[in-house]
Amino acid sequence: MHILQHLNRYLVKKLKQLTIQIHSLGSKMKKGFLNLFQDFRFGDIYVKLSLLFMGIGFFRRHQIIKGILFSILQIGFILFLIFTGIPNLSKYNTLGTIQFESVYNPITRRNEVNDYDHSFKILLYGLISIIVIFTYVYIHLKNIQTQRKLQLLEEKGVHINTFKEDLIELKDNRFHVTLLTFPVSGIIFFTIIPLLFMILVAFTNYDQLHMPPTKLFTWVGFRNFEILLTTGSNTVTFGYAFRKVLTWTLTWAFFATFLNYIGGIVLALLINSKYTKVPKLWRTIFVITIAVPQFVSLLLVRHFFADQGIMNTLLSADIPFLNDYSWIDFIRQMGLIKANREFVPFLTDPVWSKVMLILINCWIGFPYVMLITTGVLMNIPKDLYESAEIDGANKFQLFAKITMPYMLFVTAPYLITNFVHNLNNFNVIYLLTSTRVTSNQLLANANASDTDLLVTWLFKLTQDYYNYKMASVIGIMMFLLSAIFTLLAFNYTIKSNKEDRFQ
Amino acid sequence: MSKTAQQIKNAAKLKKRIRTVIHNGLLAVISFFWLIPIFWLIASAFNTDRGVNIRQFFPTTWTLDNFYQLFFQTDSVANFPRWFLNTLTVAVFACIISSLFVLMVSYTMSRLRFNMRKPLMNVGIILGLFPGVLSMIAIYFILKSLGLTDSLLALIIVYSASSGLGYLVAKGFFDTIPKSLDEAARIDGATQWDVFWRIIIPLSRPIIVYTVLLAFLAPWVDFVFANIIMTSRDTNKFTVAIGLYNMLDRNLVNNYFSLFTAGAVVVSIPISVLFIFMQKFYVEGVTGGSVKG
Repeated sequence: MHILQHLNRYLVKKLKQLTIQIHSLGSKMKKGFLNLFQDFRFGDIYVKLSLLFMGIGFFRRHQIIKGILFSILQIGFILFLIFTGIPNLSKYNTLGTIQFESVYNPITRRNEVNDYDHSFKILLYGLISIIVIFTYVYIHLKNIQTQRKLQLLEEKGVHINTFKEDLIELKDNRFHVTLLTFPVSGIIFFTIIPLLFMILVAFTNYDQLHMPPTKLFTWVGFRNFEILLTTGSNTVTFGYAFRKVLTWTLTWAFFATFLNYIGGIVLALLINSKYTKVPKLWRTIFVITIAVPQFVSLLLVRHFFADQGIMNTLLSADIPFLNDYSWIDFIRQMGLIKANREFVPFLTDPVWSKVMLILINCWIGFPYVMLITTGVLMNIPKDLYESAEIDGANKFQLFAKITMPYMLFVTAPYLITNFVHNLNNFNVIYLLTSTRVTSNQLLANANASDTDLLVTWLFKLTQDYYNYKMASVIGIMMFLLSAIFTLLAFNYTIKSNKEDRFQ
Repeated sequence: MSKTAQQIKNAAKLKKRIRTVIHNGLLAVISFFWLIPIFWLIASAFNTDRGVNIRQFFPTTWTLDNFYQLFFQTDSVANFPRWFLNTLTVAVFACIISSLFVLMVSYTMSRLRFNMRKPLMNVGIILGLFPGVLSMIAIYFILKSLGLTDSLLALIIVYSASSGLGYLVAKGFFDTIPKSLDEAARIDGATQWDVFWRIIIPLSRPIIVYTVLLAFLAPWVDFVFANIIMTSRDTNKFTVAIGLYNMLDRNLVNNYFSLFTAGAVVVSIPISVLFIFMQKFYVEGVTGGSVKG
């Protein structure tokens, strides 16, 4: 409850800030356009002509190379618009209408394909066109201001940089441009455009029945969101599955985070205790378990706990000193497995597998938290413990009243980040249970299984069932989920204020 | 009088000894459980049986054949030397590009001040909130429309193109280098370019080592993205991770499990050593410097 109130207050504060920011952004844009208009009005003929020909002002101010480069840019943009922009954007409202057709031509004795629309390419190239157009318009308008500045420089008789001097600037005052160009374009092409594309897909009916090139897909508005968020029928069970998977995702993330947190801290305390010999050796042993690549260790564990795996073989041995009474008999008598089962369905039964996943995750999680918290543990002031010991507190009280509150206070941001990480913990779930099938028909109808997290469900929907529309909607939901918890984390860290501290 | 003092001392000593035994004993038991899968991995790598050993924990007969077969007897399913070479190629190129990207972005964000700095950093945070798998699917299509899927080049692009987003750790490091250093250099007439290459980079060896190692390791341990990109199932184009992952396919596992474990041992040893070597940086990386040791 406390956290919710906190979050609420925080969100309200942020929203207020955001509205102020939008207002200031609005007035900034207004000012920008006003300045632009002034520049255009008072500019000479070359400034005015640069509205039509980008490079012309540069030629006038003897910046020949720059003039050529900007002219090439403009020509390139016009060509792009003719060959990619307009053809794709003109079909953007429908994403194509001409269905793929392959007709046998008796004269050439070949199958001839008509000039069909490829919805996928229209969506992608259209998106790229929109981005290119906005960027170009911005550069073009910015150029008018540059021309006006050049004109003023010329009138005052101030030296105008040659191309060589401009290049030198890139190594000095405009060094950030040099450093950022390649990394940022990488991010734009391989993160931002793909993400925007997938967001757009969430509003289409792109799935197995609408796969380009043979089929078209089109816009459907918010219908996919409706399917995911409402209960639906017995055949369309995405609403049901979403609720189930979301519940398990949150449960999983909660246990995976907090069990590991407490276990890891206890482990760290144990290793760093003054009674422990060779702490370095112990630490290394535990670090090895996280150092081995997960696709190795977790796949191995999956076979270890398989229905016909080595663990079940070991369990089918008799308990020492008891004849004809194996561990499995014992587990069965406890009512933990069905009466006719000869093995423990560690990773195949809905309940068993969930418990096992959380436990196996401890195997990775304890050493991980141990590694991270050791440093902080060492920093807890010793006098806190000493004074508590004088007051007669026992070990457990020291842990519960001093260690944990202190750790929680210091590592709260990490804890929340880790929670978000666990919400999207692909590896553990996928490597351990990707092949399992569910007996829950309602889940199966939505291609989910009992142990699926949102992220593995999304992955399966795309890789095995080509259901891109629903996968995209789930992806957007996951973003919202992560965003809420990350906002919470940022509320705790005031990192941005600290960054200049050491400089 | 002195006798009782001696007794108290002895009792304290005994107590300390018992505590020591309990602590170390407990740790020994826990580490035993923690190491079971590792033992099983190593034991299976020396197993004469080719399938999953389900009858006994340790193999009945031990052999080195699995390692021999791994390196010298390749077949259509398992071509470890080829995978190793593929992964090495991808790792080297991805490592060079992404290390450069990370250092460039982190230096810019830490040292240079310009209008777009804060907005760019915010965009970076927002992008990090989307599940990577989601954009990966679209990347696959983009690469496909460029005719690049099923190639090592695609993998290099995937591992390095967006690496600039992972700049936070290195930025945290650059933040701790005193600004007076570059100011002094600037007064002496150095450009930002000189400051970056002549002052900051030579001072940043630890973070460079960390960045390079992390970028180098990524292709060796990733099976998700590689799996999405390498759709043709041509084993000659696999990386080590998807190659090994593929060996545990339901139809193959009974013939290739021991080979898988042998391959897993071969790749795990150097990776583990590197990881243990850089664990200190790793801690800072995970916590983003928010948890200071």
